[in-house]
Amino acid sequence: MEADVVIVGGGPAGMACALRLAQLIDEHNASGVDEMLSKENIYVLEKSREVGQHCLSGGLLDPRSMKELLPGFEKEAPLDAEVTKESVWFLTKGGQYKAPIVPPPLRDHGNYVVSLNKFAKWMGQKVEEAGITVFTGFAGSELLWADESRDAETACVQGVITDDKGVDKEGQPKGNFEPGYELRAKVTILAEGTRGSLAKELIGKLGLEDPEHAQTYGVGIKELWEIPAGRVAKGEVIYTLGYPLTSREYGGAWIYGITDTLASVGYVTGLDYQDPRIDPHHVFQSFKEHKFARRILEGGKMIRYGAKSLPYGGWLTMPRVYGNGWMLLGDSASFLNSQRLKGIHLAIKSGMLAAEAAFDALLSGNSSADTLSEYKAAVDRSWIREELWPVRNFHQGFEHGRLEGFVKAGIQQVMRGGNLGPDAKNHAGYEQMRQLDTLGPADADRAAMVGNAKGDGKLTFDRLTDVFHSGTRHDEDQPVHLVVQDLNICSDRCTKEFGNPCQYFCPAAVYEMVDSAQQDGAGGSAKELRINFTNCVHCKTCDIMDPYQIITWVPPEGGGGPNYDGM
Amino acid sequence: MKILVCMKQVPQKDAPLRLNESGTWIRDDVSWETNEPDAYALEEALRQKEKHGGEVAVITAGPARSQQVLREALAKGADRAIHLEDDRFAQMDAANTARAIAAAIEGEAFDLIVTGLQSDDFGAAQTGVLLAEILGIPHATIIIGIEKTDSGLKLKRELEAGHYQHIEMTMPAVLTIQSGINKLRYATLIGIKQAKTKPMRKVAWAEVEGKLSKHVQKIEKLYVPGSQKKTRKIDAPAGEAAKQLVEYLRNEARVL
Repeated sequence: MEADVVIVGGGPAGMACALRLAQLIDEHNASGVDEMLSKENIYVLEKSREVGQHCLSGGLLDPRSMKELLPGFEKEAPLDAEVTKESVWFLTKGGQYKAPIVPPPLRDHGNYVVSLNKFAKWMGQKVEEAGITVFTGFAGSELLWADESRDAETACVQGVITDDKGVDKEGQPKGNFEPGYELRAKVTILAEGTRGSLAKELIGKLGLEDPEHAQTYGVGIKELWEIPAGRVAKGEVIYTLGYPLTSREYGGAWIYGITDTLASVGYVTGLDYQDPRIDPHHVFQSFKEHKFARRILEGGKMIRYGAKSLPYGGWLTMPRVYGNGWMLLGDSASFLNSQRLKGIHLAIKSGMLAAEAAFDALLSGNSSADTLSEYKAAVDRSWIREELWPVRNFHQGFEHGRLEGFVKAGIQQVMRGGNLGPDAKNHAGYEQMRQLDTLGPADADRAAMVGNAKGDGKLTFDRLTDVFHSGTRHDEDQPVHLVVQDLNICSDRCTKEFGNPCQYFCPAAVYEMVDSAQQDGAGGSAKELRINFTNCVHCKTCDIMDPYQIITWVPPEGGGGPNYDGM
Repeated sequence: MKILVCMKQVPQKDAPLRLNESGTWIRDDVSWETNEPDAYALEEALRQKEKHGGEVAVITAGPARSQQVLREALAKGADRAIHLEDDRFAQMDAANTARAIAAAIEGEAFDLIVTGLQSDDFGAAQTGVLLAEILGIPHATIIIGIEKTDSGLKLKRELEAGHYQHIEMTMPAVLTIQSGINKLRYATLIGIKQAKTKPMRKVAWAEVEGKLSKHVQKIEKLYVPGSQKKTRKIDAPAGEAAKQLVEYLRNEARVL
């Protein structure tokens, strides 16, 4: 199928891009020119069954870019609450300390508490109304290359292939098999979210990442809670640092009041921790047991669950975002401000700017890197750079712990983002993971974050209970979409060196070490990896955090995955 | 063959259900999907059309969101859709739903009307049968095989315990379809695109209101049953425990 533009991913970045492109084409066609442009062959591919079902955020929306995209959007968009008050807390195991002032980056007046699921769904409606086709239940599985050289200057992308449907677990076609479509596009825009599978291929193949600045990530784990009135006000925003993480790990919690009786609660753990036994889901569960959170949640009811990774690296880890026939948007390209813990507004803005370059390409009939470089130039001129440049060193500052991080953040505040010296490098988080024999047994103060949480079934939950609340579904008779290059590494090297951290970092209990038929050296039965892929919530944490980098997340059959309705 | 498929939008199977304020039904903020047996009915209709030619129309009764069911059907290959669109259609009893559908297709002569044997939410299994009654045509339920003959239809019905019934029938007729009669197809990209331009006729509440009557069924109260599980542990040596267990099963549980 021929296409003018294919946008892979119907989140805020992709939808903003489609909408802006429709606006530009409409304006162009209304201006009385001879040559009209058509929106007929502009497509958005979205792997979830319905738009928004794979969209997860805390979520707070800085309305800046939406005001530009759709002036007056506040009147019709599904915004749950305007932020009315905020506080920042530091938690120790038994104590809680309120920050005397809210640090400026965390001041949220003027922002909105939103359900990104509902917001993306609404944007999807706008896109369809604007005359652009959204194909839900279709993932971008492979890139189509016109020139496959491993050089960003010459390589050329000319579309994507969508996922095959109706393939059984052995990889054989079933009776209702439908091969993927080759969508040949003049411009291919990847807006797949964090660690997009096509974006990863593109970045790796063309070497788009600065070798000194590997992308760094965190994983956010969220639950939606119905709580008794009077605990968190509608529009109230609470951030915490500290417990259960220690000064050695990066992360913190949020609690947002959606209504007076509905709260978004979650915890982000930096995916650059050292101890392979850490379980980010356990970290979150332990946070809820702290008296600070317990006071808010106890007696309430958890109604939804989800997990998503996010790029922390910021400006310096941004890969090259354009080339011949392609552009990268949103979380796939590091458009996130980790100091403000916000990315939706940047994702939207990146989509809008990419749309302008795509429009130029359609108009001129030239979608080479030359034309699309205008996207990067526009990013550099825009407030995206103004916002991200001064915080470019923020996350790296925490590499050696929290104390040093705060000192460095303070210096950067004074130095307008600079360090006392050159910009700090970014190291891939999985490289920080240490082998078990260098760590010794986990001491008591780490019990709250290592190993899987058991859960009490009321305030805290084990992972399977939580995954049930994510509404995740996959057809069981399909190939495993978590491709492990060499399973021997798992049962042999990894067991010895890291103790199979996949059992802990996956927030959906996908990875399990089970007894195998083989004997181990000591006469007991050896363990082997079982991949419960139907649990997968598409967060990509495994692809990011696996210490050997042998797990590759590929899209399962379109339509499968979590259902983040209302999240 | 001119075929009509009656389809319904129901809460997604794994959706966490919660009661509404009045305790008469579930809350509306769940995800929705096509009733599974209706999806099989559609697939069967499409296969019949592919074999014998003709037309497949789809119809649903429900609020704006239920249009999704029709769109998916059009994307899979249905030719046109009819949407009885109003919030009030969602809470009707089976008899009135059948009346509304009958009113909406007045003047159309379908050779065959198929629908799922029951809905995944109410599970009444009545609408198809009542529709046949209102239209004055024969019906058959729990269909697991359809073969068109010169004189009508050869059908296979699924009875209980692995038994099947083979019957013959004339057309026009209403059939309620059992899940698993066929293998569902996927919507294609081209199908989804073409679906946008296929005809979708909307029927308003006022157009069929005159044909409806009082609801004869209504949900008074819906509640989540409290847990009633009682566990008793017999703490004794095996022989003694077995004796006590038999005694319990005989005298208290009275199952022996």
